[in-house]
Amino acid sequence: MKKKSEKYSLFKAVFTLPVIIYSILLILVPLAFVFFLSFMKSDNYGGYLLEFNLENYGEVLDSTYLLIFLKSILIGLATTFICLLISYPFAIFLRGKTERQRNLIMKLVMVPFLTNSLIRTYGLITLLRKNGVINSGLLATGLISEPLNLMYNNIGILIGMVYTLLPFMILPVCSAVSKVDQNLLDAAEDLGAGKISKIFRVYLPLTIQGAFNGSLMVFIPAIGFFFIADILGGGKAMIIGNLIKNQFLTARNWPLGAAFSIVLLGLTFVLVKLYRKIGGDLDELGGG
Amino acid sequence: MKPSTRKTVLILTPIILLLIIAIIIFFPKQSDKENEQRTLNVLNWTSYIPDEIIEEFEDEYKVKVNYSTYSSNEELLAKLTSSQTGTYDVVFPSDYMVDLLISRDMLNPLDIEKLPNSTNIREQFLAQPYDEENKYSLPFLLATTVFLYDSSKIDKISSYKDLQDPSLENNLVLLDDQRIIIGAMLNASGYEMNDTHADHLEASLEFFNKIKPNIKAFDSDSPKTFFITKEVDAGLVWNAEATLAIEENPDLRSAYPEEGFALSMDNYVILKGSKNTELAHEFINYLLRDDICQRIVDEYPYISPNKSVESLPDEELTEVLSRGSYVENVGADIKSFDRLWAKYK
Repeated sequence: MKKKSEKYSLFKAVFTLPVIIYSILLILVPLAFVFFLSFMKSDNYGGYLLEFNLENYGEVLDSTYLLIFLKSILIGLATTFICLLISYPFAIFLRGKTERQRNLIMKLVMVPFLTNSLIRTYGLITLLRKNGVINSGLLATGLISEPLNLMYNNIGILIGMVYTLLPFMILPVCSAVSKVDQNLLDAAEDLGAGKISKIFRVYLPLTIQGAFNGSLMVFIPAIGFFFIADILGGGKAMIIGNLIKNQFLTARNWPLGAAFSIVLLGLTFVLVKLYRKIGGDLDELGGG
Repeated sequence: MKPSTRKTVLILTPIILLLIIAIIIFFPKQSDKENEQRTLNVLNWTSYIPDEIIEEFEDEYKVKVNYSTYSSNEELLAKLTSSQTGTYDVVFPSDYMVDLLISRDMLNPLDIEKLPNSTNIREQFLAQPYDEENKYSLPFLLATTVFLYDSSKIDKISSYKDLQDPSLENNLVLLDDQRIIIGAMLNASGYEMNDTHADHLEASLEFFNKIKPNIKAFDSDSPKTFFITKEVDAGLVWNAEATLAIEENPDLRSAYPEEGFALSMDNYVILKGSKNTELAHEFINYLLRDDICQRIVDEYPYISPNKSVESLPDEELTEVLSRGSYVENVGADIKSFDRLWAKYK
């Protein structure tokens, strides 16, 4: 018996070693370098000088940059909120279907996401632009007389973000909602709960973990997805993602870019801590 | 699964995985070895030289060209500093990047004797401020910023002030480039485009804020699309984009901004540590040929320095070169440009 378990631990080692090496080499080492870089001084040519200083972090606190952080967080929150708003009715609708229907619907949700998100974002342009599909359709039916400004503004950014990140909300919310005990819902109904009150007084408290899990996975990418802000926002809105990208690709100031990344990482860390605090399981986050 | 099959699977999977990894790691090296012919490593801007021209060079000179691309001077610099010397032979930096590469001693001087076709270059393009003796660089293509507007909707745009017109609300596209746009606003406020004085930068922001409500988008990749799909009626774009857009929509007109505009000259240079300087010269000399220059501008209508290539008349060219200015390397002041750009947006 003992021999067998030893053998299995060897297998385990064989399987996990590549992952461990991979994580150390490609995640931990670069991250440590970014952390180190954030305390160095820029040489203005994309390199750094070996001089320890906190100036980069001081610069992060510049009001101009803080405003960008604030704006990114607002966009992230709005995206998360809209995703939640869509996911709950969807999850409850899905709960009432047979398993076959459920599988089919979930597949339909997932299939578009096998395509590169950049390409899908460009696809949205054909729908949203001034003489795009939506505007021409609405104009032709006479519902509007002037084309709507659906992109190159914050609306465009939100549409793009919600579209790209929705599955990350739908998956955990659906899984949480499907686990809610039917007896509790029946009991609620017997006690006179309507549809709305069932959502807020039964589903929501029982699935708050799933909702938070999804929110985390929507919010964090949303503050960093610069290509969506660039393409659908017309490059007018700068979010943290653009700011970091600019430091590396135009301002040649890698240490400042590193400092922004560390601050963003800190923000993420705080959110994950919060998630643990309300009793969330870290494995569930990784699963998405 | 039977325990024995399970065991086999458990043993085989890591072995197969390791094999795949080994193949991925070692495969390209072997194919390199097979290739004993001369190779040239070229790093160029995306969409700048039609692929056929490179293929014909390979056939004609019986060589192999490893062609990779970058989309900004900063990306080029990052690629050069993060790779071993000798990784690339020929690159195409713009003006200020030539200056920067010279100052960091990263370039190999050009041997003009090996470049007989360099006599095809028009006089006006030589001896530019970033390399006054053309010791390290020769001009490849010139780009300028121009206004582009739909003449069926707008009378005329000739000054940055015209962009402030309230009738253009949400109707402009500008290049998504901090040095170019801040430079233009500095020009508009009566300063030089590389000015780093804090008050002058502040003034440029003030001028820009009056244009801001009119801006629909910033785009450097393909601003012409905005004109072709009639998303906007006016903007500030690169000359080649303007030419291509006019081909699609003849109502469009282009004009040089009165207060000044940006020039951007891309250059042939050979990197220090290049293992194929001989071949690198042959490649540059090939690209300097009249017919090749013509074909390049047919596809990407920038201004070619080549004498035989039809471009601007001499007088207009001299005027353009004297009125426009290059982006210059501003050293540590780049930080104030970056912060200002965040405020612009």
